[in-house]
Formats: sequence, structure tokens, C-alpha cells
Amino acid sequence: MADPFDSALDLLRRLNPKDTTENLNRLCSLVPDLTEDLLTSVDQPLEVRRCKKTGRDYLLCDYNRDGDSWRSPWSNEFDPPVSDAELPSERVRKMEVKANEAFDVYRELYFEGGISSVYFWNLDDGFAGVVLLKKSVNPNSNSSGSWDSIHVFESAERARTAHYKLTSTVILNLGTESESLGGMDLSGNMTRQVEQDLPIDGDESHVANLGRMVEDMELKMRNLLQEVYFGKARDVVGDLRSIPPLSETNRDRATHREMIGNLSSR
Amino acid sequence: MASSSSAIASFVEAAPPGELQDVVLDIKTLTGEDPKTASSLEPAFQKYNEEQFTTVKLPGASQAVIMSPYNALGNARYYDTESQSSFKYDYSSQNASDVQSYPLESSHADLVKSLLKSVPAQVQEHYPSATLGVFPTENDSRIAILVVANKYSPNNFWNGRWRSSYLYDPSSGALDATIKVDVHYYEDGNVRLLTDRPVSSSLSPSASATEITRQIAITEKKYQEDLNRAFGTLNEGTFKGLRRQLPITRQKIEWDKISGYRLGQDIGGGRSR
Repeated sequence: MADPFDSALDLLRRLNPKDTTENLNRLCSLVPDLTEDLLTSVDQPLEVRRCKKTGRDYLLCDYNRDGDSWRSPWSNEFDPPVSDAELPSERVRKMEVKANEAFDVYRELYFEGGISSVYFWNLDDGFAGVVLLKKSVNPNSNSSGSWDSIHVFESAERARTAHYKLTSTVILNLGTESESLGGMDLSGNMTRQVEQDLPIDGDESHVANLGRMVEDMELKMRNLLQEVYFGKARDVVGDLRSIPPLSETNRDRATHREMIGNLSSR
Repeated sequence: MASSSSAIASFVEAAPPGELQDVVLDIKTLTGEDPKTASSLEPAFQKYNEEQFTTVKLPGASQAVIMSPYNALGNARYYDTESQSSFKYDYSSQNASDVQSYPLESSHADLVKSLLKSVPAQVQEHYPSATLGVFPTENDSRIAILVVANKYSPNNFWNGRWRSSYLYDPSSGALDATIKVDVHYYEDGNVRLLTDRPVSSSLSPSASATEITRQIAITEKKYQEDLNRAFGTLNEGTFKGLRRQLPITRQKIEWDKISGYRLGQDIGGGRSR
């Protein structure tokens, strides 16, 4: 008998990725016991909130949430306030501030807009965190697109190195609708993992190490997404229906085979 | 219980091409019950089969038959114009049974028979594997011409379906088409292409099967070319506008000097929107 949690994840991997949030709610009401596990392991498009103290936008996820409140990375305060909120230790908060500054630069260089937020928290033998990036575009009234990256990492410190485990998900939704094309929706998400040991020399090097890992991962994933969305999906359409008549393609292939046959029999 | 069965029904109806059995299995594990034996879910399976143009082979037949709203007789029975028979579909075993004679009675019977000859030739030229159906519909006022092509490759984590439906009105000559493409890719992720293209064209009233077939060929070719162009436009436009492959400097970030970026070089625009 399969495990219900695995089956729930399998189901979400099959149903339309644009409906993940609704399907997640349906699953939670169907099997309430799975709610906690599903909410922490299924990535959904990131929501945005404005920091009341600094006026800057930040991103919401399960890692900066306490009940119905969220912590702003810019002010380190929960909104609405939480009396006994769990905050990162002073040392980890210091790294979190640096990481937010660094990924703000990263965001501007790669996304030329959008919103970024980084949240860190303490672990027994190190710390963990999440780097969030979000950008939406509407190049014209007919098309729209959104990119959400969710990079969750854990860092375990050793003498002069740290061991990092990074799990990255990118949610990429693209759509276009016009009189001549009708509706076209190309949406989904992909997840990849990597583990690495990197040298450390003070806390600043954690931010630099994390930066390199996220930058490499996003480059890899951007290429992968491009291949799947615009290569693979298009190829499958071509496998379903061929624009050139199949009799021509088959004749060309037969001629080709014959030529090769003639060459090799000489 | 009502809300849970509507949740389950929505999962069934949303199953991707070729993955209905996987979805059913997941539901079974989650609820401890086989959704196929729940009578409350019959409408969901029926809706899925008719919307997705599910195909089934009649006992002893070599060709498959489409199930659609256009050849549904109710109580899970459907009819086929090619073999002029009707059958019962059992969605839990996915088999057709109880085949009965069902003579084609339509004032457009000749056109239906001609289309059953002319459309397959065009379909075979462009689909490596497809199933076709031609049915009089809407009180014999229109003729539905349906094409479904499936290609499943679960070992490579992708499945695809192409559906075309054409409604020809012999009295006005209007040919109203809807073409839908559905592709699912799910290796370490979940990516879905869903398209929906309505196309209206007009032929002369009482057009011949050859004319209708030619118009179908033109419509499908044009759509596939437009769709291929749209892949390019989304890639070059929307996708590029979301995230650059490399920063404008064409160099990766020097993370050890990250704090100097804001001071040292202009990284442009919007610090805090």
C-alpha cells in the first residue's frame, strides 16, 4: 500500500500546476492529517506584503510565518505583531541582513526588477534559510509571465568548511491569448537539489557561498526550463501532429535508407 | 462527504492525458476507497471521457471509437457511425460491451459516409496515430467531425493529447472548430501546456466532404504554425523579460565584493519599489 503523503505529492505533480493552491486545499480537507506536511513541502507562488516600518515589499512563505503573521526581512518585525515570536539569533540575523542586501543586488542584476527576500533561522549545528525571488511581467495586454524562485538551504559548519544542502524550486507561469492564436498557457514548476562543501572564513563567507550556489543553480534551472518549456513541449506537439505530410517524410526516410544501403553495399 | 466527493471529482476531471489510472490510484490511497466503484463519481468519469475524447475498441474491432458528447446516448452508451453500432462503456474496466446495431439515421447520412472516407486520408497524412469520429448532432442540424491523437511516454515523464472538433452546418456552410493541445511533462517537476483555439470559417452551404476535409487541413496547418511561432515569441519575449541569463556585464557576480556593487557601479533602477 502506497503512503498517503507520497500519493498526495504524486497527485499534485500530475494535476495542472496552475491549480496547485486549490488542489492543496482540497487535499487538506480530504485528508486533514496531511495538512502540516503538505503545506511545508509543496511550493506555491509567493505572495507579497509591504513592510509597515520601511515601506519595502517582502515575500511571504512558511518560513517567515507565525500563525497569521509574517516577519519582514527589512524590519525583523512580525505583522501583525506576535508577542513571543521566535526570531533568529543575533549572529544569524546579522547574516540575514547581509544576505538580503546581497540578494537585492543579485535581483537587480538578473531580474532588473521584482522582489527578493531572504530568511534565516537557527539550527542545532548551524543555520538554515530560504532565498525568495519573484518577478512578474506583462509585455503586452495579451501576454503575461511570472517567475518565483524558492531556494531552501541548510548549512552545517565544520572546522574550515561548511556543508550546504540546497533545494531549489522555480515556478514559471507563461500565458498568451489573442484572436489569432486563441489561448496558450505554459506553466509549471521544477525542483533540483545540490550538496556542496565550501570553505568558510567568517560569517561573510556564508553569504558569498550561498550567493554562488544560488546563482549557479538558477543558471542551470533557467536553461532547463527553457529546454522543457520551449523545446520539449513543442517537440511533443510535433510528435502528435506533423506539419509536413507523413507520406513525404516517410518517403524521404526510405530514400535516405536506400542511399545508405547502396553506399554500404558497394 | 459531499465536499470530499466534489474534490475527488475535480481530480478525476483534471487528470492529464494518459494519467487517469495514476490519478485514480492516488485517490484510492488517499481515501482508502476505489473511486471507480463510487456511484457518486460516475458523472466525473463520464465528463472526463467525453471531454477528452477517450477511445475504446469494440469487441473484435481493429479500430478504436471516440466517446464524446456528440455520440452519447445516455446511461454510458455511445454509438459509432462507421460500424453503425452502439455499445456500453464500463469505465472501471475501460471496456466496451453489449454492442447493438445502430443504423445511421440522418438527412446528412451521405455526407457523413463521405466524410468517413475523406477525412481519414487527411488525418493519416499528419497524425502518426489518431482516432476519428463523424456524428450528426443538434437534432441533425450539424455534423460533428472529431479527431483525437494521443502520445504517451510515461517512461520519459511526458504525455500529450491533440483534440480537434469541427461542427459543420450544411444549411449555412459555417464550419466552427475548436483545437486543444494538452502536453504534460513531469520529471522532477510538473509542466503543462494547455491551448484552446476556436476557429470559424465558412464554406458554401451543402459543401462536399472533399471541401470540408480541405478546410480542416488548412485550419490545422495554420494553427500548428501559429502555435510554433507562439513558442518562439514566449521564449524571446516574456521569458527573457523575467530573468536574464547573465547580468548586463555578461559576467557572474563577484560575491566577495558584493557589498561594493551598490557603491562601485550603477546597477540601475528601482531600489525599493
